[in-house]
Amino acid sequence: MTAEIILFWLFAFLTCAGAIMVAASQNVVRMAFSLVLTLGSTAVLFLLLGADFVGATQLLVYVGGTLVLLVFGVMLTATGPFTRIKSSPADAILSGLIGVVFLFIVASTVTAVNWDGENGIDQKIAMGAHAKAVEGGFNPTQQGNTTRPLGLSFLSLRADRDLKLDLPKESSAETNTAPVVPGVSVVMPGVMPPPKSPVPLSTGYLLPFEIVSVHLLVVLVGAAYLARTKRRATT
Amino acid sequence: MESLGNKLSTLLAIAWLLPLFGFVVEVFAMSWPNANRKSKAAAYFAIFCIGFGFVCSSIAFYEWGEGTDWAAFKAVDHGHSEVANAAEHGEHAATGHDDHEHKAATHETPKRTVFSGTFYNLAQFGNLKLSLDYYIDSLTLAMFVMVTLIATCIHIFATGYMAEELVDDYVDHQVHTHDGGHFHRPGRFYKFFSYMSLFCFAMLGLVLAGNIFQVFIFWELVGICSYLLIGFYVERHSASTAANKAFIVNRVGDFGFIIGLMILWTSFGTFSFDDQHEVDGNVNKVTAGLFTMVRGHDGHLDRSSDGQTVLLKNEQDVNGEWHVRKESDPGRKTITYTLLIVAGLGVFGGCVGKSAQFPLQTWLPDAMEGPTPVSALVHSATMVAAGVYLAGRFYPMFVPEVLLTIAYVGCITAFVGATIAIVATDIKKVLAYSTISQLGYMMLGLGVGGWGAGLFHLVTHACFKSLMFLCSGSVIAGCHHEQEMTKMGGLLRKMPITALTMLVGVMAIAGLAIPGTSIAFSGYHSKDAILATALAYTKLNPIHFLLFLVPLLTAGITSFYMFRLWFYTFLGKPRDQHLHEHVHESPWEMTGPLLLLAVLAAGCAIGGEDGKLFKMLTFSEPVGVGQGVDGAAAHTVSLPGHAAIHASHSTAGSAALLAAFIGMSISYLVYGKGVINPADIKRQAASVHAFLANKWGFDDLYDVMFVKPAHVVAKFAAAIDKFVFDEILHTFVRMGIAVSKWDRKFDEGVIDGIVNLMGNSTYSLGISLRNVQTGKIRQYVTFIAVSVVTLFVLLFALYPKG
Amino acid sequence: MQPTPDKFLFISAVLFVCGVVCMTTKRNGIGILMGVELVLNAANLNFITFSRFTPLGLDGQVFSLFVIVLAAAEAAVALAIALNFYNNHLTIDVDRGDELHG
Repeated sequence: MTAEIILFWLFAFLTCAGAIMVAASQNVVRMAFSLVLTLGSTAVLFLLLGADFVGATQLLVYVGGTLVLLVFGVMLTATGPFTRIKSSPADAILSGLIGVVFLFIVASTVTAVNWDGENGIDQKIAMGAHAKAVEGGFNPTQQGNTTRPLGLSFLSLRADRDLKLDLPKESSAETNTAPVVPGVSVVMPGVMPPPKSPVPLSTGYLLPFEIVSVHLLVVLVGAAYLARTKRRATT
Repeated sequence: MESLGNKLSTLLAIAWLLPLFGFVVEVFAMSWPNANRKSKAAAYFAIFCIGFGFVCSSIAFYEWGEGTDWAAFKAVDHGHSEVANAAEHGEHAATGHDDHEHKAATHETPKRTVFSGTFYNLAQFGNLKLSLDYYIDSLTLAMFVMVTLIATCIHIFATGYMAEELVDDYVDHQVHTHDGGHFHRPGRFYKFFSYMSLFCFAMLGLVLAGNIFQVFIFWELVGICSYLLIGFYVERHSASTAANKAFIVNRVGDFGFIIGLMILWTSFGTFSFDDQHEVDGNVNKVTAGLFTMVRGHDGHLDRSSDGQTVLLKNEQDVNGEWHVRKESDPGRKTITYTLLIVAGLGVFGGCVGKSAQFPLQTWLPDAMEGPTPVSALVHSATMVAAGVYLAGRFYPMFVPEVLLTIAYVGCITAFVGATIAIVATDIKKVLAYSTISQLGYMMLGLGVGGWGAGLFHLVTHACFKSLMFLCSGSVIAGCHHEQEMTKMGGLLRKMPITALTMLVGVMAIAGLAIPGTSIAFSGYHSKDAILATALAYTKLNPIHFLLFLVPLLTAGITSFYMFRLWFYTFLGKPRDQHLHEHVHESPWEMTGPLLLLAVLAAGCAIGGEDGKLFKMLTFSEPVGVGQGVDGAAAHTVSLPGHAAIHASHSTAGSAALLAAFIGMSISYLVYGKGVINPADIKRQAASVHAFLANKWGFDDLYDVMFVKPAHVVAKFAAAIDKFVFDEILHTFVRMGIAVSKWDRKFDEGVIDGIVNLMGNSTYSLGISLRNVQTGKIRQYVTFIAVSVVTLFVLLFALYPKG
Repeated sequence: MQPTPDKFLFISAVLFVCGVVCMTTKRNGIGILMGVELVLNAANLNFITFSRFTPLGLDGQVFSLFVIVLAAAEAAVALAIALNFYNNHLTIDVDRGDELHG
């Protein structure tokens, strides 16, 4: 039982408990609090999985932004008697039944896969060429430290894929490839000469990034428009 | 010469196109702002157009004379100064005149000058070229000057004559409405002048035309103008009928014209009169025209040894002379002699219709329904003379057999027209029959070989006949549209200018002259020329002696009925006192043209065959006419040459003069002095009078021969239409209705049933499904979740092992 | 030594099912929004897990980033809609908003 395992179990429990509380609670404010617990725990799980940047973003955006927004919503709408809106027991029973069946299906699917065995998915094969750490700070995903690769991927540079960084022992024409981008040459200090033929590069995320940016702007304007002060409908 | 040709063609084209411009402007006259039916602007504009045309024509004439050094007038008269050349012209010697009167016309005649070319290429279909050409020789120029001058006079006259149309509300007293009143309509002054301008354009185009197809185009154009002008008072039933009659009768002649055109095109491959010069790159290409192909440079007709085929000359040698191609040459062209006769007769058929020759003469008297200026311009001076003009222009294409036909047709027409004129009492009808008769004279002159004589008479006749028509117009206007001579009389004092100018015209057409001197009216000279030719012709061909005697008799009759008309109208006592009191002399714009035309009628032919007019016309006489044709060689008839004609002059001239004086004297005795009572003659020769008054029965004959059968055929066709074709159609329709009824039942029962069933079931399904849509979000989410679970369960159940 | 992926996936499944149950039971509009957030988080957890244990690699993280961003956007818009709903119906009970029923 390493600390990693202990942490995992602890936050797995918190996550599940928070989620169940969100589903079970009738009070909006409590639900919001439970959601904070769940999302925060999930962020820790992300960190445990080596996704340090995503975990941080989860904390910042979700817990710090979205949830605050939700709480604002609660405050603006759920005033007084409306804080609790009870659902009928029949609904709860039906939903619970469906949930249990759903959970059973998904869980059985997950456990049906043999992750470690002889005939299952071989982790080492799955990890492929990224198994080893390399000088220069480009770690495979498994080892965390993903900020730089993520940033580069948003600029359409896939350092994690195109920089085939290997062990010093391996020396061949293949391993001498450097990323060749037309008009841009990334020359790493102490790295090899340009390849004889251009290597096809992996796709980055510049365009989706731009689209999401514009999308956010549109959402900002749209939300502001929708939520602006209007005359209330007369009762 | 090139530049002269360009100058002439430009001047004449201006004279030709100006009236078209006038027409276009005038036809839209009522659309102008400030348009006024009381304005004479249209008339002034039309006069300007045609008057300027006259100026252009005169300048062209002068330029032509300067350019050719007045060669036409210097031409020596063939009959007097020629050295005999009996060896070359043996046939003339046979006429028995002394040698010094014969001459080799070809040697001394100044070269004909013809300017031809193309204004504009309309279209080209294969080898068939349709273009606007010009063909300018002295005949064209003379016609241009004559047509524009007379047309100007008549236009001026018409401004006075048509002045009653200058109102917004014109009452036509000859048209009765159902309620017993008179017909009212807006005045049509400007319309009259627009038609007149269009006519002038068409007539000048006809004269200027350089190919036979172009002639045909303008031929039809003058036809439609004639139609429009005859039917000017279209509300009058008689006028519209007369217009239709003129148009339809002319179609008969044009049918022959078209046949002639088709033969010409098939055999000759060209419509052009003159040789066509084409510049193709640097090569100057010359194509033979119709005249060249038939006659060559010396007027000789090349025939094959058996005489059945005419060989066409379409190859030019280095000297510019045309020859028949060798037999092996693929470009060799021939035409059978019979076909050439048929082509000539076909084209002449067109002339028969247009010039109101026997047997198509019936339309012209009816055409007098048009306003009098129209009768003067269209139906006496120019359009009807176009037939004669075309016969003269197309002269080289006519073989002697065709000319014989022309001569007889002309002879019969002259006689028939003259006899009917004796009994006619309508002043314009008399002149119309006189026109028919005189046109017959011209045709006769052409037919017997007097090319110059026929066209000479055409010009002089145009002068005095337009004068007389205008005088009659003046009388009619003065008598408030009374045209019956039986109601006139004694008008000499009331309208002296009209009466005296009319007398000049009468004397001119009668052909009076002072015996022994050269002083004579124009009609004398031209009629003398025709009769001399006819006499020479009968001397050569004694079997055709009627061709001299009948015209001579007709000359006497002409003199008789023309003086009858004058005595009837202007002398004696007024027969209708009421009418007589209101008669007045016409205004200056009507009498002015009368005076000018009177001078022309009296003097235009001064000098006769030595005069300038005749010399000018004969300057462009087709080659070969001058020598005559020896019938013994190849043809059935012989044609007299100039020498033979000249020899007959004195005899024919005195005979004609004698006939004219006799006719005049009888007329004076009967109508002037009253020695013989015309009513007695009428009673004694009642059947003859009835026959003549019935116009020789031509109208009745045509009615029985053509109109009635046409009606029968039409009725038969209508019956077939009604009882056969209509029945078939009705059966089809009934079947269609029955089928439709069944179709409707099927539609309503089966098709609609299926569609309704589908619609109803869809509707009920929608109603039942509607309950699912509760509008509750949570329920929808539940549905989704249940669906996903169900799908997974199904997946596991169906594929248990993955 | 690390936990095996099936454990993470199971947690993700619990999150997802809780989210769905939340959406089906809550009559409060804000509650439904929270359910949606839970479902999105379940998806994110799956992405990260597979990013860690399979050749999916960095792509999984990038996708989860996009999901977070879009979830934030969705929350903003949905909240605005909820406010409008509240303004129009004077309540946040979504069962009251059934004007579109068949």
